[in-house]
Amino acid sequence: MKHTLISLSVTASMLGSLAMAENVEANNFRDGFLKGDVTWADVETRAKSEGTVNLYYWGGSDPINIWMDQIVTADLAKLGVTLNPVRITGTKDAIDLVLAEKGSGKGLGEGSVDAIWLNGENFATLKRQDALFGAFADKMPNSKFIEWNAEDPRSLLNLRDFGVETGAAEAPWSGEQYVCAINTARVDKAEAPSTFEGLQAYLTTNPGKFTYVKPPHYIGNTFVQSAIYAHNPDGTGAAALQAPIGEIGAEEFARLITPGIEYLKNLEPLLLGGQKGNARYPEDNAALDGMFLNGEVDFACKFGLYAVATGLNNGTYPEGAEGFVFPEGNMIKNKNYLAIPSNAPNPAAAMVMANYMTSVEAQTSKLKFTGMPPGVDPWKLDEAQVQALTAASPGLVGVTQAELDANTAPDTNATLVDVIEATWLEYIERDSSDDIATIVARAVENLK
Amino acid sequence: MSPNKTKELARHRKERIWMWLQVLPVLTVLVVLFGGALVLAVMQSLGFAPWFGVNTFPDFSFFRALWGEWSFWYSLGLTLYYAIVSTLIALVMGIILALAMVRFFPGKTLYKYLYKLPLMIPYTVGIALAVIMLGNGGMLSRLMEFVGLIDDPSEFPQILKSHYGWGIIAVYVWKQTPFVTLTIYAVLLGVGRETEEAAAILGASKSQTFFQVTLPQILPGIISSTLIIFAFNIGAFEAPFILGGGYPDTLPVIAWRYFNDADYSLQLQGMATVVSIAMIAGIILYTYLALYRRYERKIGRN
Repeated sequence: MKHTLISLSVTASMLGSLAMAENVEANNFRDGFLKGDVTWADVETRAKSEGTVNLYYWGGSDPINIWMDQIVTADLAKLGVTLNPVRITGTKDAIDLVLAEKGSGKGLGEGSVDAIWLNGENFATLKRQDALFGAFADKMPNSKFIEWNAEDPRSLLNLRDFGVETGAAEAPWSGEQYVCAINTARVDKAEAPSTFEGLQAYLTTNPGKFTYVKPPHYIGNTFVQSAIYAHNPDGTGAAALQAPIGEIGAEEFARLITPGIEYLKNLEPLLLGGQKGNARYPEDNAALDGMFLNGEVDFACKFGLYAVATGLNNGTYPEGAEGFVFPEGNMIKNKNYLAIPSNAPNPAAAMVMANYMTSVEAQTSKLKFTGMPPGVDPWKLDEAQVQALTAASPGLVGVTQAELDANTAPDTNATLVDVIEATWLEYIERDSSDDIATIVARAVENLK
Repeated sequence: MSPNKTKELARHRKERIWMWLQVLPVLTVLVVLFGGALVLAVMQSLGFAPWFGVNTFPDFSFFRALWGEWSFWYSLGLTLYYAIVSTLIALVMGIILALAMVRFFPGKTLYKYLYKLPLMIPYTVGIALAVIMLGNGGMLSRLMEFVGLIDDPSEFPQILKSHYGWGIIAVYVWKQTPFVTLTIYAVLLGVGRETEEAAAILGASKSQTFFQVTLPQILPGIISSTLIIFAFNIGAFEAPFILGGGYPDTLPVIAWRYFNDADYSLQLQGMATVVSIAMIAGIILYTYLALYRRYERKIGRN
């Protein structure tokens, strides 16, 4: 219904706006800023006259919402900008809106979305549709806290988002790692599996005590990706899956992912509910957390470096919860970002907001309130700033930072994620009788 | 022209303008919002979506892809199963309750308010109640664990998240029984009890009275209330999404999944699903009404 309405309004406004001129003044501002002719003081002045910033973000977390309302709103008000937090149930809703408005001819200064919290496929979509404001993230004063030097391998998470070049069109906001938690009240920690083979062995003796979020939810996709890394037939892990699908080719890609997908297919009867022939995949984080809390499953995996500490704090995790290293060497790490769309109504206010969000002050209070790890790079900070962040951290439970760092893997290229999703849905959910190579070839063809 | 006639014509014109004024607001909403959306939905499902860079209108491939898959028909079966079973249960319970309501029993005044309670509570709250009470890890499972019937909340029999759909049906029945009762009760109050009494005096048994006297009288209420709840059940999304058994999902959930996919080309497939639901629901409801009209004409009602 909502989509129908959106499309309806699109068509209606399309008719009205064909003759409408682009907002020349806003475009001049953008071109000037991207060329470096506009100083940051000018941006701040313009932001004050724009007055409001419409930030679209996933509103499913109470701590984040409270932090936005109590801290961010107050701090931005000091800069003369009113924060309008638009809480959405899925980031894609904001992307839909941007593209719909772009399709109806609304340019810079005329849309309704100023900034979006996103990463991965959603960013790739905006980039593919040429719906981004431009390379602002390395031109903000606080971009000094972020590693942009391509020669430093640690800059990878800032320069590439799911293998897609960010081009500084999005500002790193938070960095996450995929961490699994074990309920030590039910399972001895010594029994915790550290490899996919170990997981399968554990589930053979304790059937039904594990499940993962259903793809195409990104939490589920990530689990599938790490299984694919671990079963890479060449043993090259994540490295082989960083290039876009066009470069790898459907046939080669199918060869790379087949062992991982087959593993998940074999795992299905051992998952929660799988013994009755109907494995249950939770729809999202919250559903999985509920199963973990209720003792329906013994392990739960999601993005959340500090998820265990936060979950223990607010009671969404069972009392015995602890983090553990799984899968060895393939704990996917990525960042999430703030992007400004090409038709932002208040681009200067959006940049002021993004600059504030990358400040050490905001990063510290965010970490303290929400448990979201910092998106700025610690080696770019001074001693006192690092100290402030460390003090605000809810802390790791059951794992050490060194263990996490030693087992890091990058995310898969965004164009591959679409194919992996489609393959999982077809081969595992729909139980297709076609072989993986055929399914991959079809998915690649469809996504062109 | 005589002044009288002119006056009458003017009065007629005024009346006609007044009539249009009365009809216009609803008509506008129907034609512009509903009609417009429907036309766009059909066009999109046939490949018209220039804002995603897709324009292959008219193109039936989305329907072909959808209908060509066995899972679509399985999903249709599930959708109809949830809709029909819950409508039937709500109908039977509603009739029984309505018949009880026209008689006197102690506490009736209070009960008259009590039974309407679910009408005022939103579906989502009903769904949340089902999750809290009936889920694995819900109140009932925890109680059973507490008294030692099961070792672990997760061993509780699975009521929700299964393709039998007990959770979905429970929520629908809980919410819709009062609605059916209300409609039939109103009809019963309208027809009075004289005919029933006459039948009893003439020696009809209880079941004869019900099937040959009461049922034909309340039939309009039955038809209108089942029509409304069935139309809702076949298109509803939340209950099967939250309480359903996962793949294969009901048709509205499938449509939602297509819309929510990062791959934009699937939105057209989603539109084809929505249009299919509308078509199927339309055909069923139309047939239902047509059969009822034929029956009415047969018994001489107009």
